[in-house]
Amino acid sequence: MEEEDQQKVADLIKELVIRLLSQNPHSESHPPTPNSPQFQSSLRYAFRLISSRLTPSVSPDAAAIAESTKRRLATQGKSSQALTFADLYTKFALKTGPGSVNNKWAVLYLLKIISEDRKNVKTQLGSSVLLPNLALNDGELGNESRVLLGKGNKEKGWNNGVLLVSKDPENLREIAFREFVNLIKEENEVSEEVLVRDVLYACQGIDGKYVKFDSGADGYVLSDLIKVPRAIRLMVRKLCELGWLFRKVKGYISESMDGFPSEDVGTVGQAFCAALQDELSDYYKLLAVLEAQSMNPIPLVSETASSGNYLSLRRLSVWFAEPMVKMRLMAVLVDKCRVLRGGAMAGAIHLHAQHGDPLVHEFMGRLLRRVCSPLFEMVRSWVLEGELEDVFAEFFVVGQPVKAESLWREGYLLHAGMLPSFISQSLAQRILRTGKSINFLRVCCEDRGWADAATEAAAAAGTSTRRWGLGYGETDALESLVDGAAKRVDKHLLDVIYNQYKFKEHCLAIKRYLLLGQGDFVQYLMDIVGPELSEPANTISSFQLAGLLETAVRASNAQYDDRDILDRLKVKMMPHGIGDRGWDVFSLEYDARVPLDTVFTESVMAKYLRIFNFLWKLRRVEHALIGAWKTMKPNCITSRSFMKLQHAVKLQLLSTLRRCQVLWDEMNHFVSNLQYYIMFEVLEVSWSNFLNEMEVAKDLDDLLAAHEKYLHSIVEKSLLGERSQTLYSSLFALFDLILKFRSHADRLSEGINELQARTLESSVPSRNKSKTKKRLNDTSEPGSWVSEGRKALTQRAGEFLRNMGQDLDALSKEYSSLLEDFISKLPMQQHVDLKFLLFRLDFTEFYSQLRPST
Amino acid sequence: MPREIITLQVGQCGNQIGMEFWKQLCLEHGISKDGILEDFATQGGDRKDVFFYQADDQHYIPRALLIDLEPRVINGIQNSEYRNLYNHENIFVSDHGGGAGNNWASGYDQGKGVEEAIMDMIDREADGSDSLEGFVLCHSIAGGTGSGMGSYLLETLNDRYSKKLVQTYSVFPNQMETSDVVVQPYNSLLTLKRLTLNADCVVVLDNTALNRIAVERLHLSNPTFAQTNSLVSTVMSASTTTLRYPGYMNNDLVGLLASLIPTPRCHFLMTGYTPLTVERQANVIRKTTVLDVMRRLLQTKNIMVSSYARTKEASQAKYISILNIIQGEVDPTQVHESLQRIRERKLVNFIEWGPASIQVALSRKSPYVQTAHRVSGLMLASHTSIRHLFSKCLSQYMMLRKKQAFLDNYRKFPMFAENDLSEFDESREILESLVEEYKACESPDYIKWGMEDPDHVLTGEGNAAGTVDPKLADWNRLLEVKCWCQEVHWRSIVKYGLNVVFDFFRSETTGWFMDPLVADMSFSLNRAFV
Repeated sequence: MEEEDQQKVADLIKELVIRLLSQNPHSESHPPTPNSPQFQSSLRYAFRLISSRLTPSVSPDAAAIAESTKRRLATQGKSSQALTFADLYTKFALKTGPGSVNNKWAVLYLLKIISEDRKNVKTQLGSSVLLPNLALNDGELGNESRVLLGKGNKEKGWNNGVLLVSKDPENLREIAFREFVNLIKEENEVSEEVLVRDVLYACQGIDGKYVKFDSGADGYVLSDLIKVPRAIRLMVRKLCELGWLFRKVKGYISESMDGFPSEDVGTVGQAFCAALQDELSDYYKLLAVLEAQSMNPIPLVSETASSGNYLSLRRLSVWFAEPMVKMRLMAVLVDKCRVLRGGAMAGAIHLHAQHGDPLVHEFMGRLLRRVCSPLFEMVRSWVLEGELEDVFAEFFVVGQPVKAESLWREGYLLHAGMLPSFISQSLAQRILRTGKSINFLRVCCEDRGWADAATEAAAAAGTSTRRWGLGYGETDALESLVDGAAKRVDKHLLDVIYNQYKFKEHCLAIKRYLLLGQGDFVQYLMDIVGPELSEPANTISSFQLAGLLETAVRASNAQYDDRDILDRLKVKMMPHGIGDRGWDVFSLEYDARVPLDTVFTESVMAKYLRIFNFLWKLRRVEHALIGAWKTMKPNCITSRSFMKLQHAVKLQLLSTLRRCQVLWDEMNHFVSNLQYYIMFEVLEVSWSNFLNEMEVAKDLDDLLAAHEKYLHSIVEKSLLGERSQTLYSSLFALFDLILKFRSHADRLSEGINELQARTLESSVPSRNKSKTKKRLNDTSEPGSWVSEGRKALTQRAGEFLRNMGQDLDALSKEYSSLLEDFISKLPMQQHVDLKFLLFRLDFTEFYSQLRPST
Repeated sequence: MPREIITLQVGQCGNQIGMEFWKQLCLEHGISKDGILEDFATQGGDRKDVFFYQADDQHYIPRALLIDLEPRVINGIQNSEYRNLYNHENIFVSDHGGGAGNNWASGYDQGKGVEEAIMDMIDREADGSDSLEGFVLCHSIAGGTGSGMGSYLLETLNDRYSKKLVQTYSVFPNQMETSDVVVQPYNSLLTLKRLTLNADCVVVLDNTALNRIAVERLHLSNPTFAQTNSLVSTVMSASTTTLRYPGYMNNDLVGLLASLIPTPRCHFLMTGYTPLTVERQANVIRKTTVLDVMRRLLQTKNIMVSSYARTKEASQAKYISILNIIQGEVDPTQVHESLQRIRERKLVNFIEWGPASIQVALSRKSPYVQTAHRVSGLMLASHTSIRHLFSKCLSQYMMLRKKQAFLDNYRKFPMFAENDLSEFDESREILESLVEEYKACESPDYIKWGMEDPDHVLTGEGNAAGTVDPKLADWNRLLEVKCWCQEVHWRSIVKYGLNVVFDFFRSETTGWFMDPLVADMSFSLNRAFV
């Protein structure tokens, strides 16, 4: 009969399969034949279903299954199908009486399983969760004997799903099990189902009946009063860790969300909370499923459960394995991020993303993408629009309210703490500079052209200006966006600086006026302000000097310069002390104005001022020397050497004159070579280097650096640097000596003129009487040498010349010792260019021969 | 306050080189022949108002006075295409138009006569300028007007404008060819006295050297005046570039001259220019660098003053000062390298009594004048070898003077009336002391020179042959006579006597090869006269 039954079942199945297949509208073209592969596989599948012997994991409740199916359909968005299903189910449930299906639950369950299994096959997933025994590969399925074997036990084994080893006639095992169950029941005051539910509650942060949050122990604990085995207690504790973690995460989220508008959570914090919330909602889903399962009673080992879908603590621990990892991570992050904000938060999270576990890695990646998106949005709008959309100070670029002139240097800073570690320092610098450039253009240059450049950059980077265009992990895209924007914005900025604001022209103007490059202008200025500046400093009106400056500009070629440039040139009087002469306080300044005052800041201008003062002094000394030469110029002095004088006096005169001339020559040599050195080795060389660097400068920072270098090299080489202090002071001693020499030389030439007049008077009175008379009248006022005779005159002249000669000798001695001092210090300077100065001064080795020892 | 410079061009030669100079300046500043600024020249950082001023109709007028005693050259200018450039009030031609007849005394005397008219013109020009820097006088020292009248003007300027600079461009006569002016040595000597005493700076333009340069450097077989004058105008315009194109340094004439002339009496400057080109001449264009230019400038062959020094003396000759004005696209760093190279090679010999160095001024080039060379350079230098030029003038003078030749022409004028030739003696004395001073500059003891042995110079009486030593041993030198010992010399021997000729030859005998034939001739000559 069994054989027959089996045959009958097989035939029935075959029949069913054929019918179903032929109903299938897709296979109409070729009606199913017993040999077609489709038929074969379907048949095999049917057999597999029939021979499956698994216990269902859910409780045998037809209504629950129907409900869950309905819900599933509804959540999948197939609400119409859900309705259809509900309709069908009510009809099906109402059908009672003969011919109707008795075991309605079983039918429903079977259908559900099949549908789920089909789905799994379709989606190519691995082995079915719900039909774990149903290996899909054909080899295993070909195992007919196993199918047949199972059939024998169908009547008994189908319902409880436990494979009964049927060779147990005495039911010994069952008896043992029952005893065990009783034992357990005795030991446990609370049933496991209740505990499971409590644990589930705890995992949602709710106190259960027995498992409650104990703030002392800082965790959910099973109250000690309840008698449960230690193992279970432990397990509950372990499982409740999830609850503790959840509490923490949830607490953080609600704390942040509640305080959001008023407190400083920041957009990154919000994004973080939102991401956590999403993760938690997944967690809630899981809990919902578990809760549903927990309703099923836990069958005792021997009992036949109405459903195999029950939840024990042990099962729970398996279910909780993955959420636990995630929750832990979240809790750690929450801990870490509690005090952090913005970029720092993103950075901290990023540190945890470097994880070998793909699960963690993927989880963190998801989280970071959410967390970083506000940050990247900030970068985007900063780089492309120059906007600091940073209400909560989360961005790693920090703006400060500063004056326009220091906007570039101090207006925006990198906040190292807010710089997430996945953005490198150099990239951050570039980001900073790009946005800064835009702001600089906007604020200082009042330029609108940068917008085009930025749009172009965005287009080139391919991200367009849509929001949320960039995400975490796309560092390359970010970099290319930033680079593109930086390149274009910087280029535009330099264009504006060069063309609209004429940076080069202003540099040249500063070189020409403050560094005295415009020689004719400087000369006139020296000529006309000279007398004024010899007055004590406190009597000089800078207003008057400004007028003189204007005169000098108009008299020299400077008048052809741009009015804009000339307007910026001003007289500046430095603070003066008692006894200062105008020379000490006079200087010129150049008003750079926005935006160029970014380059020519106050400290830069102070350096220019120092250079100006040095050069101005040098010029003054040169001017004085040339003035001295002019009073002794050839056609004034040459004829003097043929004066009819007493022999000794004449000798004295010649000797004094020559000493004066030789000393003049030496001083002039020094000053003019210093000038040549300043011009060729310092100003021009630095300038041409500066021009070259200006050519290659890619952004304003490069330009600033180039200018800084230019200025520094001038300061260093013109002895104004720190290291040349001593040299500088001995240089100034030399200058002062030369100025002193000038007054001596003037006195000498005056004396000689006087002497000549007298001599002419006394020696040729007869030849040119009228002229002499006139002279007499002219010069009678000084009265010093008048009425004296020729002899007295000679005496007088001799005395004068002797004094002058002595003075000159003293000056000459002092000069040579000072100069020797200066020259001996020169080779000790570290700056190599100062050697050029020595080379020039000692071109003929005049000085090195004087001091053969050194 | 452009530090104006007023140019006085006196005499035939002065007006000729002056005209060339203005032509060149007009070209460089983009000023048309009528004084109107060309359209292309409105931009540029040049200073035109140093040498020009603008009339009411904005056309540029040179600050120049054209002075001559005969109308030929000035008429030429007035008929040339540049006739509208000059201010016609600034042209002075003497009424009788007879010239000075190559006589210094005549020029000087006529100068005195027209002093008022000319000084009026000068005063007018001076008043028209804000800050007059000085005067530039163009003249030759050998003729009548340029030398005589020029001398008078120098004295007057020195008296009236003693605070202003007086620079001269003085053309020295060509010694290599016979001159139609036999009294050249007299004229030169008398002018040199004024140049020594009354000028602040004399740029010596030696016709001998200019011819030599034209022949040797420019390969012109027979250089014309126009060609040598273009050399002069090149030098003149180049030496003023730093004034006309302001830069960091050397923006005024005083500054320029002050460092060149440390000792007041040694204010005679030599010039050199390279690379030289003459119009319409397709020269081989070579690569010019700063070093190359600076080195060439130190070569004797490029210097526009003949060096009559003997080899031994030439080696002792020293530079008192050098200023190189480099024009063109120059990288300032090259200057230092060039100086280093020059010092390493010891290419230049400086005075030993004080520090000295080659000064270099970089100047822009006019954008309106196309030149084939990137870099060109002018050297202004004070060199002791220039004394040989003066010695030669002296010896030529001595030669004439001994024979009392041609003095009658001078006695006609008040200065030399009643046979008062003290002016000649004084001039000679001054020139001799100048030569001595240059010589002293060659020694390291210049500072003490003249102190121990004042008689040597300062007494200045007697010792007529101070520099001319008539030892018979020098007879041998006569045998070194060069082949250009020509007819004129034979004639002069007959006329003036052997001693004069001997003296003359003695000063001419520098480094010339011995021609046996000439030697033979001289020997027989010697026998015939002694």
